[in-house]
This record gives sequence, structure tokens and C-alpha cells, in this order.
Amino acid sequence: MSENAMIDVRTLSKTYRVHKRAPGLGAALRSVLRRKYEVVKAVEELSFQIADGERVGFLGPNGAGKTTTLKVLAGLLHPTSGSVRVGSYVPHERDPRFLQLITLVMGQKQQLLWDLPPSETYAMNRAIYDIPRAQADETVRTLVELLEIGDLVNKPTRQLSLGERMKCELVAALLHRPRVLFLDEPTIGLDVSMQAKMRDFIRDYNERFGAAVLLTSHYMDDVVALCPRVVVIDHGRLIYDGDLRELARRVRPDKRMTLRLSRPVDRADLEKLGTVVSADAAQAVLSVPHARLSTVVQGALSALPIVDLTIEEAPLEEVMRELFGAREKEARQVSRAHG
Amino acid sequence: MTATAANEIRPRRAGPAALLRRYAGLFRVQLAMSALTAMQYRADFVVKGLIAILWMGVTLVPVLVVFGVRKSVAGWSFPESLVVVAWFTLLRAVLEGAVSPSLTAVVEHVRHGTLDFVLLKPADAQFLVSTAKIEPWHLVDVVGALALFAYAFGKIGRWPSLLNLGTGVAFLGLAIIILYSIWILVVSASFWVIKVDNLSYLFGSLFDAARWPITVFRGALRVVFTFVFPIALLTTYPAMALLGRLDLKTALAALGGGLAFAAIARRVWRRALALYTSASS
Repeated sequence: MSENAMIDVRTLSKTYRVHKRAPGLGAALRSVLRRKYEVVKAVEELSFQIADGERVGFLGPNGAGKTTTLKVLAGLLHPTSGSVRVGSYVPHERDPRFLQLITLVMGQKQQLLWDLPPSETYAMNRAIYDIPRAQADETVRTLVELLEIGDLVNKPTRQLSLGERMKCELVAALLHRPRVLFLDEPTIGLDVSMQAKMRDFIRDYNERFGAAVLLTSHYMDDVVALCPRVVVIDHGRLIYDGDLRELARRVRPDKRMTLRLSRPVDRADLEKLGTVVSADAAQAVLSVPHARLSTVVQGALSALPIVDLTIEEAPLEEVMRELFGAREKEARQVSRAHG
Repeated sequence: MTATAANEIRPRRAGPAALLRRYAGLFRVQLAMSALTAMQYRADFVVKGLIAILWMGVTLVPVLVVFGVRKSVAGWSFPESLVVVAWFTLLRAVLEGAVSPSLTAVVEHVRHGTLDFVLLKPADAQFLVSTAKIEPWHLVDVVGALALFAYAFGKIGRWPSLLNLGTGVAFLGLAIIILYSIWILVVSASFWVIKVDNLSYLFGSLFDAARWPITVFRGALRVVFTFVFPIALLTTYPAMALLGRLDLKTALAALGGGLAFAAIARRVWRRALALYTSASS
């Protein structure tokens, strides 16, 4: 796969030199005369490959190095060491053909001209990307239809709501039909139904154009819906790369069993089956080890007044919390052992 | 729509002529955007036009005051000084209408981290940021400057020859390049120090000195205004060219100096860009 990978990251490291000082006026004055610098490792020895047309979730807690990695991939930052290749290009050389190949969507920043309707930004990007008019018009028409934004593109950007603006922003970012999409929190600040539409759109675009997608999001629903594979980093290091469900199974080997009950039951009876997550008169949620699942289901059906029974994986939010929480604890223990 | 890959959109055209055509097209689009933005706020357009006329009056005040008590200043008569003021007005129109707004926007880009979007585009970043914003109401200043030229030469009673006019126009081009280069240097500084409001204020104050002929200044100031912050090149030499008082050697030296200045500015910009790490999101 690494031979024909669309994105190829090998032992990428990126460090920043940041100026550091203690709080207070005295320290501020001293720092003017003599600055102390600290080297912050944003990304360390990171390697992964992404194939053409693949959708990959890029996960990690705040400050894990996700945005830094995306910026290196988009050519905005130089790697400190290691190599990065996208298509047949080295991103930071910013070859115009490379820039034609990619797009970077940042949920917290926007490129739309504030005082003009989005359609004018599209006209400008059409000129910048040197796209034939007929093709640009067709792309805009298709994307506008997919996103259901209709006449919004002719209203001044400053009059649009956040969700409307984000959709219009996407059209601007995809006008040149990029083959590689770097999406940094594309659904941030959107309501639930808008998020769902956005996800449908991203999948649609990916399938239609065979574009590779690398997505970061704090909304695990985005990741579950879009990305069969996830790359997880923490403190700039790779901690998992592979199937999303496998990650969930590994971190949380327990299944989530929800029982709807026709009458209240004793908590003790539930505890015989598995760990009780929550329980009230009408419903109980249990956590059950994968291996014991069939025994537990049989036991529950014969012993309890069950109306309905569902079995699911643990929610990804919990998986992530547990994954990073465990690592934090580990790190603390290690530092204590060394201290 | 068929699933064409981005890099198949259009074969890249090469060659300087094609490149020039492409950037001329881009410039047209940027101009159109600025005009559209300006027209979004019609009242603004009128008010800013009126303010431009007011400022032109204010520019004339010191010259009128000085020549109210003296016949000539440092070898320049009143109408000759008006030619310098007219150049000053014309250049200020270009500066405030076409150069400063765009480059002030760069500083904002750097602070908000939106310069990323400029750097993601497959076109020269310096070109894109330099032509992003134009304020068309400064055309009022251009008209005012032309009127001032006409009045001054009417008073002198002798019109510039075609050669003098040509040299004058060439110097206008040079002056714009120099002004632009100084601004690019100021903006490049924003990559290091982020907040350059003070620098641009200093720039404005220094530029104000260009309303006077360079011979008004003595000693260290004259050296500074000729070589470091070359306002002599901006208004005095062009005025001398129009008046037929500039010799060829000075003209050529000025031209060489101006172009070297632009080359240095471009290098510094590229250096600054390489150092740029966008604000964290």
C-alpha cells in the first residue's frame, strides 16, 4: 500500500521553539533582556499512509498535534525531520500542481469574503485556480445542490448563519475538485441535523470523486459515520492506526446491553448478568464482556421480564475518554516513579 | 459532473506571456472584487470621497502659509512647490487607495491565522495579498492632483516637454514601486512582531515629509530622506523631471536604486514567509 499511497508520512517530527517565562512583571522584564526558549515537540516520529479514496479519522485530545500534522501535510509548515509526500509532491515546496490537488478546511477559520456574497469568492477562486468557467459553474451547481444552499450563495456572507457559512465555505474549498481533503473540525459549532448533512456531503464527495479524506473532529458521530479507519495520536505520537471497531473492542472489550423491562426488577438480579451502567423501573443498561455475551443474553431472556433487548458497542466518546484517561494515569505514574 | 481529477483540470501553461496574461486576469478579478465591496456601502463611498477632498485642502495649507510670507523656499518658487504637492497628492492616492489597504489586511491575516488560505492558493502569495483590496474613492485625489498640476504649470506659464512628461511618468512608476517595497518591508516585519500598527504610523508620518522638496531639509535629515527613506525619489525628483531640472545621471541612479530596493523587499518577504508559522487554531 505504501507504494501507491496518496498520503505518505514517514517518521514526521515537528518541534516549535517557544519563548517561555515565569508570570509577573519582574520575570517579564528579565525576559526582555534574556529570553529562555523551550522546545515543544508537537509531532514526534509519526508515520502513516492513506490510500487514494480512503476516509480516515484523525483523533487525539486537544494539543495532540493533529492541526500541526494537517498543516505540514497542506504545506503550511515545514517538517523538522522525517518525510511527507502527498501525491507525488513534497507539500512544503508548495508546487502549484500540489496546491491544485488538495484542500484544507478549517472549521474555525474562513476564506469567504465577508462583505460580498459567496458567489464572488467562487469567482475569485475560479480565477486563482485557473478553472474553465463552464466547469466551475457546473461544480458550483452540483455542490450547491448537494448542500441544499440554493440562493444563499448570492447573499452577502456577513448575513449568513454559521451553518450556512460553513456550507458555502465548503463550496469555495472544493471548487477546484481536490483529490485530497484535509478537514479540521469541519462541523464545529453546527447543530446536530446540520452536522449530519455535512457528513452525508463529505461521504458523497469522497465517493463521487474518489478523494482521500483525512478528518479531525471532536464529534465522535462524525468519525463513526465517516471513517472506517482511524489514526489516533497523543502527545504527538501515534498510539493507534487501524479499524475503528477494532479500537473500540480493544479499549472497551465490553458490549453495551440495553434491556427494556415490563416491570421493575431487583438491582441484584441485574448485577448477576454484568456491570450495571444505569437502571430504572423501565430500562437497564449493562456492560457485558464480549466472551460472555451469549450466556448473558440467554440468562436475561429466561430470568427477566424483557420487552426489548439491544446490544451495541460502547460509544466512541467513552472509548476515547478511557483511552486518553488511561494514558494520562500511566504518564503520571511513570513521572512519579522517576521523581 | 464527471469525476475529473484536480490536476487534470487544465494543463499548466508556461512562458512569460502566458504568465503575464494569467496575472493580468487575476488582477482584473481582484479589482472587480474591490469595486463590488466599495459599492456595497454607497454612503461610505460618498463620505470617503468628501474626506479625500478635505484632506487635499489640508495638504495645501502648510505650503500656502509658508509662501504667504516668502517668495521662494530653498530655491523653489510657489508654483514649483505646488508641482511637488501635486506629486505628493497623486502618490498618496496610490498609496492609500491601492497599497496600504491590501497590506494592512496582511497584518490582520497574520494575527488571525487566515494567511493560511492565501498560502494554500496556487498563485504567488505576494501578488495575491498586494492586490486584495483597493479603495476606489481615492480617484478623487487623482483628479485633484491633476488639477493642481494644471494650475501650477499655468502659473509658471511653461508646459513640460514630452520628454519631461515621459520622465515624470517613469518616475511615478518608480515611486510606486518604492512605496510598495517599503510597505512590503513593514508587512514582513509583522511576521516577526505581529503588531505593526506603530510601524505603519511611523511610515505615514515619514511619508508626510514628502510634500516638501528635498532641498528644504538639511544635513542628516536630507541624507535620511534621500537614501534611507527615499522621499526625494518619491516627489522631488519627479517634480524636477516635469520641470526639466533633472539631469540624466541622477535619473538613472534613482532608477537603479529604486529597482534594487524592490529586489531587496521581495527577498525579505520570501524570508519572512519561510519563517511564518500560522497562529494556532
